[in-house]
Amino acid sequence: MVLFATESAREEVDLATLVETYSRLLFRVAHSVLRSRAEAEDVVQDVFVRVIERRRSLREIREMQVWLVRIAWNLALDRRRRVRPVQMDDSFAESLAASSVPADERLCEAQRMSAVLREMERLPKAERQVLLLAAIEELGTAEMAQVVGRSESAVRALLFRARTRLRERLEARGGER
Amino acid sequence: MKNSEEAIGKVLAGLRDAEAQAGMERRILEAIEERTSTHPSATPRWAWSLAFAGVVVVCLLMAINRHGQTTTQAQHTVAPESAGTQVATLLRNESITPARAATHLQRVRQTNGADAVLLQEMRAPSHPAPEAPLTAEEKLLLRVVHTGDPQLMAMLDPDEQARKDEAIEAEFQKFAEQSGKDDHESDQITE
Repeated sequence: MVLFATESAREEVDLATLVETYSRLLFRVAHSVLRSRAEAEDVVQDVFVRVIERRRSLREIREMQVWLVRIAWNLALDRRRRVRPVQMDDSFAESLAASSVPADERLCEAQRMSAVLREMERLPKAERQVLLLAAIEELGTAEMAQVVGRSESAVRALLFRARTRLRERLEARGGER
Repeated sequence: MKNSEEAIGKVLAGLRDAEAQAGMERRILEAIEERTSTHPSATPRWAWSLAFAGVVVVCLLMAINRHGQTTTQAQHTVAPESAGTQVATLLRNESITPARAATHLQRVRQTNGADAVLLQEMRAPSHPAPEAPLTAEEKLLLRVVHTGDPQLMAMLDPDEQARKDEAIEAEFQKFAEQSGKDDHESDQITE
């Protein structure tokens, strides 16, 4: 067990417990942005590096989960800007397509999934964030509101608008074909 | 309509069910442990301040020392003809005997000769020192620059690093204040 002790006992941070408790949630948060397991795991690691850097002031943090999710989200966004997200989106879409169907149908399905991911990226920033955080299904509305810095009713409205806009855009794309 | 809803639902379910590869926690802890053992915790600010103050004190001492030397040198590098004037001044002083004045004149001339050598050396064309071999750190830096990894390059830019650190600090402070405020509010409600 890794224990980072500081000057006083109150400042002790049991990193192993933090990793055990939050790493899966943080992985999903990072994965929802990056859609790559390897990249998401690197982000989770970076989050805990930040925790160590901040270990002296962790007492000031009241909502550890919210704080960690925010860090993970920001680090994942940073990483997405640096890597090639289209390739990762395409391989994630392929992984979603059912393997039991014939190859041509599978390809078609993967393309549909890719289209959804592309439209998700085109959503306004706040709508996209709320939609992805809600997809994880591990954060309540109150926690999501804290993460995005809005009220709970604003979060519900953003989520509704995100789904509506996404559906409309996908239908419009389908109609164009 | 049903098709797009279905597709959205499938993608969101895929994101929800994403699982990390087995042993992620262990890998993370190992990586962090390795990182903390190779990179000891950052030097505290007070240490940097102390080091800076030390450097300033050393610079000041050097400046004072140099100033003292320059003043002495300036007194001694009076033009040769002024050496005679100095002796005349000394002779005018009744307490100084001619023999003592002659000794002083000799000393002044010797000093002027030494200064002339120093001046000559100072004015001589300078030759650059031969190139020193690169240190291990410099070689590493060169490798980083040649690979051109934008992330590493950004890390080398102190301004960029400082901006990033400031942004992180601001974000943290904002969050800490906000959570403190929320706590205070909830305390008031429960009261």
